[in-house]
Amino acid sequence: MSRTVIPIGPFHPLLEEAEYFRLTVDGETVTDVDLDIGYMHRGHEFISERKTFTQSIYLVERICGICSTSHPLACVHALEDVGGIEIPPRAAYIRTMVGELERIHSHLLWLGLAGHFIGYDTLWMWAWRYREPVLELFEAVSGNRNHYGMMRVGGVARDVSPDVIPRFLKILDEIEVKMEMVAKAAADDPVLRSRLKGVGVLSREAAVDYCAVGPTARASGVATDVRKDEPNDAYGLVDFKSIVLPNGDVYDKLVVRVLETFESVKIVRQCLEKLRTTPGPIRNDVKEIPAGEGIGRYEAPRGEVFHYIRTDGSNRPVRHKVRAPSYMNIPTCAASCKGIALADALITLAAVDPCYCCTERAVDIVDRRHKPLKLDLLELSRRKTELLRREIHG
Amino acid sequence: MAEKEKFLKEMGAKVGKIIDRPGRLYFEVANDDLRDVARYLFRTQGCRLSTATALETYHGLEVIYHFSHDATGQYFCPRVVLTDKANPRMNSLAPMIKGAEWIEREMAELLGIVFEGHPRPEPLLTKEHPRGLRQPLRLRRTP
Repeated sequence: MSRTVIPIGPFHPLLEEAEYFRLTVDGETVTDVDLDIGYMHRGHEFISERKTFTQSIYLVERICGICSTSHPLACVHALEDVGGIEIPPRAAYIRTMVGELERIHSHLLWLGLAGHFIGYDTLWMWAWRYREPVLELFEAVSGNRNHYGMMRVGGVARDVSPDVIPRFLKILDEIEVKMEMVAKAAADDPVLRSRLKGVGVLSREAAVDYCAVGPTARASGVATDVRKDEPNDAYGLVDFKSIVLPNGDVYDKLVVRVLETFESVKIVRQCLEKLRTTPGPIRNDVKEIPAGEGIGRYEAPRGEVFHYIRTDGSNRPVRHKVRAPSYMNIPTCAASCKGIALADALITLAAVDPCYCCTERAVDIVDRRHKPLKLDLLELSRRKTELLRREIHG
Repeated sequence: MAEKEKFLKEMGAKVGKIIDRPGRLYFEVANDDLRDVARYLFRTQGCRLSTATALETYHGLEVIYHFSHDATGQYFCPRVVLTDKANPRMNSLAPMIKGAEWIEREMAELLGIVFEGHPRPEPLLTKEHPRGLRQPLRLRRTP
């Protein structure tokens, strides 16, 4: 049996981040996937143990440029778990609002990238265009389009002025209308359906075995959602649905994210309405964190972010464990990529929404005779979509 | 909470010192009982392994697995205490739970713990580090 190993990464001018995928293919079929990580390891846990708790919140905010609410929120949840600290209701609504706005912009970002990978550049441009107003909302709330610096132990750093709420609601209405248009266009498109349906299936059993989280698990029928399982902040006070679909393919992962975006808009709207009628402080004064241990988690756009903090009564953690959702989701590629066509590998790897999903643009293939070949996975993926389009539309 | 009581009823004999807090159950487990406890949590109670944390204390090393019972939001955290700092060894959960494979490799390289029975005992994060890091999270716990 001929066996070809395709190394992707770890360093390439086209890669935005360093990682290394090793695809083993038999002809056009992927038979195995192996991956190495660690090229981006920055020792956050080590550094955090040398920072005060407040500094740690800023530090973990810089782990990821897209999840810059999720990590600080999980971190403050862990510290609040250690000290049994309550937060004011107004702070809870602000936290939830910021978290859900982040989910909207992250899912739109992924939707755009997924469109780009399969040759739907219009979808990419639409999705990123409609993501822009969300970043403007962030700027209005926190002063920053990213790295918001909103989370504090016992509450949040900044209030939301009542004057901006009508404008926020108007922008949300606009985003929802545009999202409905994109969702309808995507759902009605026969090419998109045939391109993504049944591709890169992650079975329910594999999702459980790999301990997958977030949309990756929910698209495989595993009902895990921290917002429902442990409703922190205002999640117990707002009405929303956790989207769970049964098939585990890339199409279901896309649908889960699109439907979650609508749910997030619904949550943000409820939070804004509540902020109009819920006066009060935005932060409880926390003097010290007692000795103990605590677990904090939050449902980031990619799944559960987990922080464990051990304290000794000083103002620094003894141990600060951080686990991002991609850490659990990326290994599932080994199950979902097995047996698929090489042209589907790109979108299947990207379907878990790894933090480095722009990876697979250029690869070097070395066949058994060590003869180097040049092949562009992105081009391969887009060519397949084009062939399907011609087949369906003539 | 029913899940917690059910667990303690079934596995109580294998559970050591307990710290019980709202939604969190931390308990000590002997290395020999870890696989039985993990099997019960993962297979019977349907918990998901969130991750595991290893840390060095003045008395030795600790490895804490974090199992989440998603339906109730309850966390079960079995804690294995390793007193032999020079040669810490314990049983691996990776043959039973695929989701434990990466985290055990990470704990092995960052704190030097040997996980017996791990299907792929090689470094995860520092495999291609030019100088190779020697247990970077164990640099400072000398009493």
